[in-house]
Amino acid sequence: MEQPFSLASEVRDNRLIITTSGYVNNVGGETIAREFNKHFEGGTKHVVINLGQSKVVNSVGMSFLIEIIEKLQDVDGKLVFTDLDPAVEKMLAIMGLFQFAGKEKSVEDALASFSSAG
Amino acid sequence: MKEGVSLKITLPKIPDIELVAIEGLERLAHHLGIAEEKIGEARILVTEAIINALEHSGESAPSVRVEFTMTTEELAIFVRDYGKGFDPESVEDPDILTKLGTKGKKRGWGLNVMRSMSDDFQIESNKNGTKITIKKLLR
Repeated sequence: MEQPFSLASEVRDNRLIITTSGYVNNVGGETIAREFNKHFEGGTKHVVINLGQSKVVNSVGMSFLIEIIEKLQDVDGKLVFTDLDPAVEKMLAIMGLFQFAGKEKSVEDALASFSSAG
Repeated sequence: MKEGVSLKITLPKIPDIELVAIEGLERLAHHLGIAEEKIGEARILVTEAIINALEHSGESAPSVRVEFTMTTEELAIFVRDYGKGFDPESVEDPDILTKLGTKGKKRGWGLNVMRSMSDDFQIESNKNGTKITIKKLLR
């Protein structure tokens, strides 16, 4: 069965990398948003969310990510998703999130995309 | 071709109970050799249908009935709650442009996700509860 939600984060060159594991439900989504806010208040504007170990998500959990996108837009920042399960990617596409957030195959690719964007 | 398999369960309203249904779904799908990508989409459909039903199940009958019937070709999902129902027509289609930049809630994507990800989506709701029927092609 899908594992309970957990999250790890690290900062590399002032870029926040959040890696989730397990079911991203409302609690998981809120936990991601809380972790983001902690770093956002410290000036982080580039964020990677690695959902590779979260094969089960729900739309309530994902809706918390809209708040992250919203805050990053205000400071000309950017969110990039990585390691997406194809079904999760399809769900995020249905929600329209890729109009305002990027997607890359890996965390390294996401970090490189920030560098190439300046 | 393997014969179809089915699963019927009643889920009480407790946190993350939808994962029990997902576990059952995955076992049926693996038994039939369904492709991982299709299982992923089925997981999302089942999750959305159940959390929607649990949200509307009400306090007097806080449980939902879930049935899956799966063949190598198709998955049928039936989810029923016994709450007070709602008018599906009154639910506005969510729009990311509207959700961004407004203080309103960011939620409200479930019906849209189910409609978009399925091959057929039906919802019936009245004062005796709500029934969602979803078909998903698995080939």
